[in-house]
Amino acid sequence: MSDGVLSGAAAAVLGIDDIRARAVAARATRLAAAFPGTAVVGLRAAAAMLNAAAYATAGAGLAALPPDRRQAVCDAVAARPGGTQLLDALKVFFLLAAAESRHATPPPAGGHGTRPPAGRPDPPLTCVVADDWPARATADVVVVGSGAGGAVAAREFARAGARVVVVEEGRRFTVEHFRALSPADRFVALYRDGGATLALGSPPVLLPQGRGVGGTTLVNSGTCYRTPVRVLRRWRDAYGVAAADPEHFDGLLDEVEAMLAVAPQPTDVLGRNGELALAGARALGWRATPLRRNAPGCAGSCQCAVGCPRNAKNGVHLTALPEACAAGAVIVTGARVHRVFVARGRAVGVRFGDREILAPLVVVAAGAVETPRLLRRSGLGGHPQLGRNLAVHPAVSVAGRFAEPVVSWSGVLQSVGVEELHDDGVLIEATAGPPGLVSFLPPGYGRPLRAELDRADRLATLGALVADVPGGRVGARTVRYRLAPTDADRLREAIVAMGRILLAAGAQEVLTGINTHPYARTPDEVVAAASAAAATDLHLAAFHPTGTARMGADPARAPVDPAGRLRGVAGVLVADASVLPTCPEVNPQLSIMALALAVCRPAI
Amino acid sequence: MRTAFREVMAGTVRLAGEPTPRPMRLELRADLPGLLHPWTDATAEVTGSVSVAGWADDSTVSGSLEVAPVRARRIRYRLSFTTLAGRRMHLDGWKSIRLDRPVRTMTRLPATVLDDKGRVVGEARLRFHLHRELLPMVTSMRTRTGPPPTAAGLLRPRWRGRRGRLEVWYSTITEPRTGTGIWLHHELVAPTDGRNAYAHGWAGVFPADGAPVLARFGPVSWRQPEPPDVYDADEVAVSADRLRGRAGDVSWELRRSGGGEPLYTFPRWAWRYGVLPAAQIVPLPAARFTGALRYGESTVELDGAPGNVAHIDGHGNAARWAWLHADLGDGDVCEVVAAVAKRPGLARLPVLPMVRLRLGGVDLPPADPLLGAAGLRAEIGLPHWTVTGRLGPARLRIEVNQPADGTLAVDYTDPDGSRAVCHNSERADALIIVQRRAGGEWRTWRRWTLLGTAHAEVGTRE
Repeated sequence: MSDGVLSGAAAAVLGIDDIRARAVAARATRLAAAFPGTAVVGLRAAAAMLNAAAYATAGAGLAALPPDRRQAVCDAVAARPGGTQLLDALKVFFLLAAAESRHATPPPAGGHGTRPPAGRPDPPLTCVVADDWPARATADVVVVGSGAGGAVAAREFARAGARVVVVEEGRRFTVEHFRALSPADRFVALYRDGGATLALGSPPVLLPQGRGVGGTTLVNSGTCYRTPVRVLRRWRDAYGVAAADPEHFDGLLDEVEAMLAVAPQPTDVLGRNGELALAGARALGWRATPLRRNAPGCAGSCQCAVGCPRNAKNGVHLTALPEACAAGAVIVTGARVHRVFVARGRAVGVRFGDREILAPLVVVAAGAVETPRLLRRSGLGGHPQLGRNLAVHPAVSVAGRFAEPVVSWSGVLQSVGVEELHDDGVLIEATAGPPGLVSFLPPGYGRPLRAELDRADRLATLGALVADVPGGRVGARTVRYRLAPTDADRLREAIVAMGRILLAAGAQEVLTGINTHPYARTPDEVVAAASAAAATDLHLAAFHPTGTARMGADPARAPVDPAGRLRGVAGVLVADASVLPTCPEVNPQLSIMALALAVCRPAI
Repeated sequence: MRTAFREVMAGTVRLAGEPTPRPMRLELRADLPGLLHPWTDATAEVTGSVSVAGWADDSTVSGSLEVAPVRARRIRYRLSFTTLAGRRMHLDGWKSIRLDRPVRTMTRLPATVLDDKGRVVGEARLRFHLHRELLPMVTSMRTRTGPPPTAAGLLRPRWRGRRGRLEVWYSTITEPRTGTGIWLHHELVAPTDGRNAYAHGWAGVFPADGAPVLARFGPVSWRQPEPPDVYDADEVAVSADRLRGRAGDVSWELRRSGGGEPLYTFPRWAWRYGVLPAAQIVPLPAARFTGALRYGESTVELDGAPGNVAHIDGHGNAARWAWLHADLGDGDVCEVVAAVAKRPGLARLPVLPMVRLRLGGVDLPPADPLLGAAGLRAEIGLPHWTVTGRLGPARLRIEVNQPADGTLAVDYTDPDGSRAVCHNSERADALIIVQRRAGGEWRTWRRWTLLGTAHAEVGTRE
């Protein structure tokens, strides 16, 4: 397919002129190199279908049509069944590419256009690129993955005197990378599949996962919720995880909080978006506070999702991993572990590429999507529940339009938590960012979309996570997720609650994120929009995949025992999000790290 | 049951900080408990040598070999050696067997070389060349039941009363400070005519600055020695650990230490079943002796002097023969027995040179020494004799010179009463050159020159 089709589609969907459309199409092509092949084929097919629709309705390809006719094609496609899904897929893709041009230089604290002040220097990490790593090596412990769980495991075992090698699929990113590269480039580099990991289902859900030394803690929002006591009790009582006893687990959480320097976000750099969320909640009499975060030096760059250019956010690449390396651990980067070796009923090492490391203990911490896949590739996926019970925190975003500028991408990316509905499983967090790089999708196609983008500085956005019924399943190449009807209801409830907060804060109208009713001006209209929306009309994002190798005392239900040992083989510990028995109901970094501590400490 | 086999791998090693890899060769001899088969899951003891051009020149390696190609899908080599610079190194590598690529994964060995502190010093990529090394490996394979034979066991008398037998225990030693050579020769003769078996022998002393001295003991009637002795002729006794005796005005009292693994100059089967006219083995090929030997007014004090203890069993002496024992240091030994049997028919054959070259614990030729003799040729003469030809994958040249003033001519009597003369020198010179094929031509790989420290003899008949 020619690039003319892609640029024609970009011009039509974003409502921009041909010159900009060609630039967006060129960037989109470059960024798509990081996407999985199926995603690229899908996007190209979507563009081709849009072009075909242009031929059918206007007799010429999109590139040859004047702007008015393109708009007509978009409107016609949107009115067809499945048309909005097709246009939305292209819109997400083109907005990401267009975001690069809007943010060619990383925005500084409190504004755009100049380079931010130098950040905290990177602490030393002993990283070896896989190509420089010997073909044969031995260690006492091999940790697969350097995210929240793997980093803690590496730190614990290294501090106990073991020779630890951490094997990480991604590369090492330094603060210099975050300062030198554009946000869109960082986005595709920092996320698995360029951020285009899709959980198949109805509706399909984007499931972004960080990939790099530090894992998803490189790119998360820095929000550090302690595991709710009710969740811990459930883990202890319903799943027999003794370590989750709130009294014991509190100590572990304290330790992790100290490691990450977790503190409430100071309000000085909170940003207008967070202030509006606080004001709205206050007007409704709802509980809302600045979030507890692991970013003591945060200057409100609003780039958490693509790597903090000031190194202010204490991802594990700045905390647990340097401590592990100081104790002798080594991180091999660019090394995707193909399999865990098993001999005589116990794990004896790992292989990546043609390289092998032998170790009597293998800690698998590859994340909830990759851990079950690795175990299956290794012949260790015999447990029927492995890869099932995927919980993903389905999320929706709602924006409010204000009369005065909000500039939501100036300030803390995720700043304020509204916990009024948390007991119902709905956690609202003021989450903002530049269009194209956050999950909120402005409504419309073509000129209306462009008008929205031009006025994006007046939007304040909120997001809500829903504690879901685990309904996902990880396959060898795909992730499937079925949104439970009760969770769809919670999402509707979340949209209504967020609309009320925004209206209470003074919003002129609410952008619901629902294609069928994109705008609402009163709480009643929000309720009407939400209640009328089918599950497939919700624009969903998903974060925090957990539970695919859940731990529990019942061997039939849990592939991992309460001590973190994989059942059916000796010498494999699982210490990442996949062992969480159920959805943690909050941003899971602290829960994962504390559980990793609980798993690794007794194994030393 | 145990299985012993030999394995040779070659390739390269890239040392840290060096832009280009160096050629590397690993020669191993493994001794595995049990029978070697695909389901083997056992750890073998390994000795051998490693050569890395300019870095580890044929250094002795030792370590372990974990063999579990199916059970654990792994064959792991863990070896230690010392570099030319005297640094202790450890090689750790393994073949991970994949059933979809059995040949490739069974023949390639990636390994890491680490120093004593566990730092990576180099990365080796070795390969077992099937077309070149498989046959030698297969032919080198030996199985045995029971524990490996000990030196003491191999030295035990084998005579069971048959007529017409000759059994010899001899030890040759070089005292390195004075250069004195020592030859202690102990015989058991069971005459063909049915007379009683008797024990006799002699001691030869080869001082650096004088004529050699010979003193005989016996004959005395043979009597079965009391363990641990393996030979007892009144004043003269031999055990695996001790040599003592008196012959004329020569007396000796020596203690043995070390010795290395027994060296089979003749095939094991030949020794075990006695099917050849005679067979010689060296139970203690690289021993060290401490003690004193007195002759006339002189005393030779030995303190860890290199030497060997050998054992011969057969019908009698050969028609013609030559023998060389060369201690090459660090446990390396070259042993040669080139002989023409006295039996009718066999006497018409050319001289059959049996050569055993032990380097770094690995014996050449890798296969049966009798088969190895087919590639060799000996020219026996005095004072100069040679052995040349192919020794397994290597080319060999041995030149021996026995100076007339340092050689004793000793009369031998066979069990059938026939006579031979043995021209023996424990102060002989020897040149040993081993060449290997590299880059399409033969290149000298190892070369030793022994001046006055080689032990040699040539036997002739009138």
